[in-house]
Amino acid sequence: MTQEEEDEVIATLSDYLDGTLPTDTKPAVEAKLASDADYKRILGELKETTADKEISAVLKARKEPAPASFMQDVTETIHKRSAGRFFGRKTFGDRVPFSALLVVAVLGLVAIAYILWSSQTGSLRVDKRKTEGSSVEVVPKP
Amino acid sequence: MSELEQSLLRRLRERDERAFRELVEQHRDRVYNICYRMMGSRTEAEDVAQEVFIAVFKTIESFREESKFSTWLYRVSVNHCKNRIKYLARRHDRDRDELDENSAGVNGAVNGMPVRIAQPDRALEGIQMEELLREAVNSLDEEHRTVVVLRDIEDLSIEEICEITDLPDGTVKSRLHRARLALRKKLQKHGMS
Repeated sequence: MTQEEEDEVIATLSDYLDGTLPTDTKPAVEAKLASDADYKRILGELKETTADKEISAVLKARKEPAPASFMQDVTETIHKRSAGRFFGRKTFGDRVPFSALLVVAVLGLVAIAYILWSSQTGSLRVDKRKTEGSSVEVVPKP
Repeated sequence: MSELEQSLLRRLRERDERAFRELVEQHRDRVYNICYRMMGSRTEAEDVAQEVFIAVFKTIESFREESKFSTWLYRVSVNHCKNRIKYLARRHDRDRDELDENSAGVNGAVNGMPVRIAQPDRALEGIQMEELLREAVNSLDEEHRTVVVLRDIEDLSIEEICEITDLPDGTVKSRLHRARLALRKKLQKHGMS
């Protein structure tokens, strides 16, 4: 049996063990298993390796976490290589939180309103003399 | 693909640094673990894992969303590891050739010395199974190591491994079987398993 043929048999017998073999090919595989020594050997090996949970359990149990500094290292590498151009250009809104911008905007509006209110020439204050003066004749009658 | 994943991808395509940090945060342990098991060295694993994330961020446009994002990420990881293994093997061969040339020219007595320094600890009793397994996995060739790492360590399905390695189902199964047999043989040599 060549390696390619053996690979095919391994794949077929893996499916047979997993119960995923199509029903129409199952009788042919079982007939081969009854008569072919290679089929029997490979099935025996597959059963052993599939049942061998010890190796897999040890390998799974010892997962290796990334070093604590990984995030910092990878970000630094990117910044170094790209001289800071790797990431997209940040807008002003990305750098300063929206809530802070809102507070500054409200304070600014309040300040403008106060200045206008306290100003003699501001339009927010109602000048009573001006309203009364509207009935005063500016140009005396001859 | 979940809405969160879609949103993360969109932000990655916009080159958002915060999205990149989220990506690294979510996948760094798994990517690092794959690299560590493939490379067999923490230093190499860290370097390769960094390169994986940088490559993913650079080439995110080429991800066509035909598979799960994680599958694509692991594929990039495995390919980077394979490239690195090939590079290291080439460098090792070159260094060995140079060493052979130098030792032949300097003194004939040096030729009798082994190039690799023996590691006496390895043969001692009391070596943990984990250490033996790590060595056994490292001794597998790259093709067999890949399927063992993805299936027996990362617990990925055969379908996912087929997508990652771009191999047919039957080849993955046969490689997995051969790799497991080889691991068993190596452990049995040490009286384990």
